[in-house]
Amino acid sequence: MIRLSGRFRSAVIIGLQGIRARKVRTLLSMISLFLGVLAVTVVQAASQMAQRAALADIELFEGVDGTLVMSVAGTPEATKATLRSLEGRSDAVAVTTVQAIIGEPNVRPVNEGGSPFDEQWGSWGWGGFRIECDPTGYCYEVVDEQYLQTPIGAAIELRVVGMTGDIRQFRPFRPVAGQWLDFSTDPTYSPGLVLNREAAKGLEMYRVPAEMRIVGASDNPTPRILGVVEDGQRVPMAYARLDELLNWVDIDAPPNPYFGGLALEVLAAPHATETLQILRANLAAVGVGEDQLYARVIDSRRQIEQMMLILRVVFFGMAGLVLLIGVAGILNVTLATVGERVEEFALRRAVGTPRTLLAGIVLAETMITGLFTAAVAIGFAALVFQVAGPLLAEVHYSLAAGSFPWEAALAGVIAGLFAGLLGGLIPAVRAARIPIASVMRA
Amino acid sequence: MTTPLVQLIGLTKTLRGQGEPRPILTGVDLTLHSGESVAILGRSGSGKSTLLSLIGLFDRPDGGQYLLDGQDITRISDSKAAALRSSQFGFVFQRFFLLKHLTAAQNVAMALVNGQGWLPRRQRREKVLAALDLVGIAHLAKQRPARLSGGEQQRVAIARALVREPRIILADEPTGALDTETGNLVIDVLRATTERGCALVLVTHDPEHAARMDRVLRLRDGVLHPETAPVRPTPAPVGTGLDRVGDVSHVPRHARPAENEEVRA
Repeated sequence: MIRLSGRFRSAVIIGLQGIRARKVRTLLSMISLFLGVLAVTVVQAASQMAQRAALADIELFEGVDGTLVMSVAGTPEATKATLRSLEGRSDAVAVTTVQAIIGEPNVRPVNEGGSPFDEQWGSWGWGGFRIECDPTGYCYEVVDEQYLQTPIGAAIELRVVGMTGDIRQFRPFRPVAGQWLDFSTDPTYSPGLVLNREAAKGLEMYRVPAEMRIVGASDNPTPRILGVVEDGQRVPMAYARLDELLNWVDIDAPPNPYFGGLALEVLAAPHATETLQILRANLAAVGVGEDQLYARVIDSRRQIEQMMLILRVVFFGMAGLVLLIGVAGILNVTLATVGERVEEFALRRAVGTPRTLLAGIVLAETMITGLFTAAVAIGFAALVFQVAGPLLAEVHYSLAAGSFPWEAALAGVIAGLFAGLLGGLIPAVRAARIPIASVMRA
Repeated sequence: MTTPLVQLIGLTKTLRGQGEPRPILTGVDLTLHSGESVAILGRSGSGKSTLLSLIGLFDRPDGGQYLLDGQDITRISDSKAAALRSSQFGFVFQRFFLLKHLTAAQNVAMALVNGQGWLPRRQRREKVLAALDLVGIAHLAKQRPARLSGGEQQRVAIARALVREPRIILADEPTGALDTETGNLVIDVLRATTERGCALVLVTHDPEHAARMDRVLRLRDGVLHPETAPVRPTPAPVGTGLDRVGDVSHVPRHARPAENEEVRA
């Protein structure tokens, strides 16, 4: 071990002496390597940033990695059992989505079906169809001609997500304006709503009365708009406390198969094992078995990585080619240097330097040169990243305040070391094979 | 009788180049003890440097036996040869072989930074300065070779050979590139090393320098012969400790030709 350490130190010391003695050669090697190492660094940085942006988007509507998402059948018993199980617990949240219209009663909304306000999806939403069931229990959709006669008025259609707790631990919505829901107070009869950007845009575009129609609600409450968040959704959405919605929606009413009724989705943290045990037990008690629960764990990072794999391979392949050209450069320079240093290497062998250390000296020189190049390339890439920061922020919000990805710096260092190793290998073997006798006699 | 430091028995070496193989050493016998100095004379191409390469483990003999301290090292591995070169041998060459980008001290330290063990920086510096002091040029430690005279450069090379405190110094025409006066000075320095128990093998063309060694051998037809022609000894400077060269009382008993028949024709 001590011997190895001595050889390693010797190689580094002699390598550094060699670099100092041949500054111009070292500079030439660095120039030939620079573009290759920079290419690898930039590709890795771009890949990390693209992944970061994609992950930020997908986390908003899928959830953060590790979140368990469980769908619970929309029967009143199951809903009640779920709400009872999650009461007072912060590690799991039940959510349900209902369709709602804010605005004048007895008119069709300007964005039927809850479409984005720049698009028109047609009458597929609130009342364009109604559900009819025959005596055998088979249900089907029927076009509601009477509804279609209704004029379009000052109303917008949106989806309202009712929650038993703060969903942001699972879906990290970004605040845009106002405030988020306060789950610590008693529910009020005027449901507080936090809108997404599209819903806020709709309310800005159309002045509508503060009256909210909710599917399955006994009456129309007056909503309070609390704030706006970025939730990554294109369609208008609003977020509300489920207990405030339940002041108006009858939990025992049969679920609406078209809109999903009060079917719940439970989002649980990875450590919420006790809560999930209680939930599963309570659901089993009301006849909802494991086979009726569909659960999955969010693994967005892996999905994105798989999606981006081909792109990464292609770009890294291109960067690798540029790096190989650099390797050829450093190989060329180092071969010439070894040729000039035949006497030095023979002398070193004469004073007892083993062949392995001679090879190590050459490799140390090329790898240290690779490291220096990596440092310069990483510094350059980080500087460009810093300067281009505001532009990147316009491309995607997740890139606004981010630091230069450490993975890119690591990739640069590895590329530099690898190029140094590859470029120094053949010269190192040559140096190790120099015969002492013939050189010292010459 | 003490074990010889170096014992060559019937050593042979054939040079194989592009033409016909050329036998260069055909059966060299040599015995060398600690503190003994031997000069090897011979015409150019007679195999003096090849013999030195074999003794210094730069190369391997084709036949015969090489004993170092009684141990057979004829077929020693490359890494063990490197370790022995580091611990047992010091080399001085005609062309100095100093690295021009290093200072005198760094050139000497080169022999210490060779992967055979590791010395802390302070110890390295102490050893280097001691070696430079031994050859009288400690004050030139920070000079690069380009700023040194030929004699000073050769003394740096000798300091490099001495810094690991070797048991055998192999000097291949160390005065070949120097004027007479400087050459004598270099021989003085080399000769002084034997007084500290170091064995010295000097390859030279100069009979005067050869005469200052304990024994003089001539390499002829691939075999070492004791020199029979008279050589004119040059008295060493008085007061340097080297003026006792002619007085065999300081020569180890085993090294005296009358008592020890090392050289076999």
